[in-house]
Amino acid sequence: MSTHTPTVAGTPTSRRPLNIIDQARSSGWARELALLPAIILAMVIGAILSPQFLTANNLLNNVLVTSAVLGIVVIAESIILISGYFDLSLESVVGLAPMLAVWLVLPAAVGGSGFGWSPWGAFAAMFVLSIVIGLINGFLVGKLKLNAFMVTLAMLTLLRGLTMGLSGGKTLSGLPAEFLALGNTKWFGISIQIWLFAIFLVAAAVFMRSHPVGRKLYAMGGNNAAAAAAGIKTLRLTIGVFVAGAIIAAFAGLMLTGRIASVTANQGDGLIFTVFAAAVIGGISLNGGKGSMIGALSGVLLLGIIQNILVLSQVPSFWIKAIYGLIILSALIFNYFAGSRRTRRVV
Amino acid sequence: MVTANIQNAIEIRGLQKSFGSTQALTDANLIVRSGESRALLGRNGAGKSTLIAMLTGLVTPDAGSIHIQGANGEVTEGPGSDSIACVYQKSTLVPELTVAENISLGAYPRKRWGSVDWPAIRRTATDQLKDWGYERIVDKTVADLEPLEKKIVEVCRALSRGPRILLLDEPTAGLDEGASHELFAQINSLRQRGVTVIYVSHHLEEIFKVCDSVTILRDGRDVLTAQTADLTVNRIVNVMAGVSEEEAAAAKKEIAVEHRRQDQLGETRLTVTGATVGSRVLAANLTVRAGECVGLTGLDGAGHVQLAQAIAGQLALDNGTVDHNGHTLGQGNVIKTINAGVGFVPEDRHVNGYVPELSVEENATLTIVDRLRGRGGLISPGRRRARFTELSGAWAIKCDGPTQAVEELSGGNQQKVVLARALASNPDTLVLVHPTAGVDVTAKESIYESLRALRDSGRSLLIVSTDDTDLEICDRVIVMYKGEIHAELNAGYEEWELVGAIQGAEAAA
Repeated sequence: MSTHTPTVAGTPTSRRPLNIIDQARSSGWARELALLPAIILAMVIGAILSPQFLTANNLLNNVLVTSAVLGIVVIAESIILISGYFDLSLESVVGLAPMLAVWLVLPAAVGGSGFGWSPWGAFAAMFVLSIVIGLINGFLVGKLKLNAFMVTLAMLTLLRGLTMGLSGGKTLSGLPAEFLALGNTKWFGISIQIWLFAIFLVAAAVFMRSHPVGRKLYAMGGNNAAAAAAGIKTLRLTIGVFVAGAIIAAFAGLMLTGRIASVTANQGDGLIFTVFAAAVIGGISLNGGKGSMIGALSGVLLLGIIQNILVLSQVPSFWIKAIYGLIILSALIFNYFAGSRRTRRVV
Repeated sequence: MVTANIQNAIEIRGLQKSFGSTQALTDANLIVRSGESRALLGRNGAGKSTLIAMLTGLVTPDAGSIHIQGANGEVTEGPGSDSIACVYQKSTLVPELTVAENISLGAYPRKRWGSVDWPAIRRTATDQLKDWGYERIVDKTVADLEPLEKKIVEVCRALSRGPRILLLDEPTAGLDEGASHELFAQINSLRQRGVTVIYVSHHLEEIFKVCDSVTILRDGRDVLTAQTADLTVNRIVNVMAGVSEEEAAAAKKEIAVEHRRQDQLGETRLTVTGATVGSRVLAANLTVRAGECVGLTGLDGAGHVQLAQAIAGQLALDNGTVDHNGHTLGQGNVIKTINAGVGFVPEDRHVNGYVPELSVEENATLTIVDRLRGRGGLISPGRRRARFTELSGAWAIKCDGPTQAVEELSGGNQQKVVLARALASNPDTLVLVHPTAGVDVTAKESIYESLRALRDSGRSLLIVSTDDTDLEICDRVIVMYKGEIHAELNAGYEEWELVGAIQGAEAAA
């Protein structure tokens, strides 16, 4: 910078206070809470259909606990979607990462490697693996500009295959306490799974809303060229979001393993479909640049509640997929009409 | 109303059109005989594009009549998208398909049961290409063609639908000298086959090779129609600029170099030496002083835009140096350039100017988002709002509020947001490419006012533009031609000097 710093011409600075309405608009609360009526409606229907629905036990231990892992993967996917990309391979990371950790720890007799790693060493190895996966995805998509769909679909298949290979298709159980702690610990009577989901959610929401890097991700997803022209290092951020996504998914996988006290060779299989459904229903745009963590949460909650209601009202589980598909189609149509309102222009 | 003469391929009389408060055409006439080759000339804003858009039926006139000879030789009233084959500067070919497929694109011949008749597609294409002596490329994929071959495929496709009138818009863009000559020869043989040609180009020397006659538009009127043989480049330039022969001669004698505001200029702030970017910019030198406003202009592809992008860190120089306040720039590092005190307004705001979904406030502060950190490394909303308030004042941005999405603003205000973004880092030098492109007159005036204020506050401005009014606020205008700095005009230059220099004529100055 030179010694002389010219001031900006024009009107003097007037520090206008941030009013509530402005804030609401800047965070897009109106849009974020778009699903609230649907959630309330679902809860009313649930209460009518089943007396067990509106109990603290059901809402906490069934709806929220079963949604926690899904919710954390949705957070990871949402960050990637907002940045203008997507990652199908997250569901395989949910399976492979804990499988690797458990395999390193368990003796060969029960299907493990027999290496006898300590659980902490195994956790470290698991995160190193997910970083490598994220780096490869990010490099192929960001640097080589390969199609994200094909790259991450191939990665999904590759990692699923590795999981199968490591486990020989078996379910590994008999896990050390360090693994189980993520499933059965309670804080203030509430499952650690809910706490972890809440912590991830708040951290991601604050980061995406207020951290410079979070805002750069929105800019990059909204218009990559404009972000680059403004000096945002888009390649670095692209690789970064894929790495972050894989790390978060690995953690979610560990939580799932902790909850069910075992790791199956197909853990996470088919999860990515629900993840995308929750994100899109929650208002995360597949075109990038749009959506919020609160929106993602509402999508997760709505799907969790609907699934719970279906279970409680004893709908045969064979039908659940069809109902999911129907809900997603409805949400897309709803979004189309909700989105077509922004034609207003100010001259 | 005059009935169209059967000999005329195009007969346009008294065409008028206004867009809002802008009168694009006031009284345009264009009469072209069948088989004639006519150049359509005029500066930016003379009404050329509007006239072409009406000829092809994209825009409807407010008043006046259009008669066009159709494929069957019959003259019909009204514009004809079917009767005119248009080949624009921008390619409309599908690169992955073969030449034959491209020529029949969208109008595939069918067999009896509705399946595509591939032999017929190949036959049609071969017939078309034979006229040009290019039937050997019929099976090639368009992506593998030479630029000239692509152009020929475009022309073939346009003519394959039957029209006898061909409109060529800047056909030599992207062609080298040899290819251009071959194209001229092809166009001439096309005319011998009875095709009427309307030729639009900024390169005046081409006109003399291809066209029988010339129509020049200025301020929405056809000010001159004459045989090419009776014209010279100088005369065309004078008519385009709207000066008489005598005026031009007089002005040429006394090149009144007015050193406006020389005393207000500070030290040299930006020095570009031997800047080379591929084959687009060739060893360009320029300097900009503190408080100085320098214009940079040229024809499309003359390299002025690339030079500006290199100065702003958007492109890396292959050779040469950029020095700004003692910082060595030119490596294509945007952040470094911003930190060295250079702000940038990109060429097309839709492409890389703004993020449509984000708020006005966020867009305007996107270049300095890292400098807005408050507690815990998070962005301080108050600091961001304060910066935005300053910027929106400086550029007079009109919006509902700082949190309105940029996509909801008018073009002029979107542009102001992009200008604000460039200023957010409080730069000493602003590089602006087409700062008033696609904005209305009021917004334009408002932008000029802000630019003057910035200049007077000691900032250096480098304005890259092909718009005369943008260049009027400059102290000097540097003209590039074919990648080289071709001329430098001081404020007070005559319009014909600028027009001539842009066209590559040897400058008088």
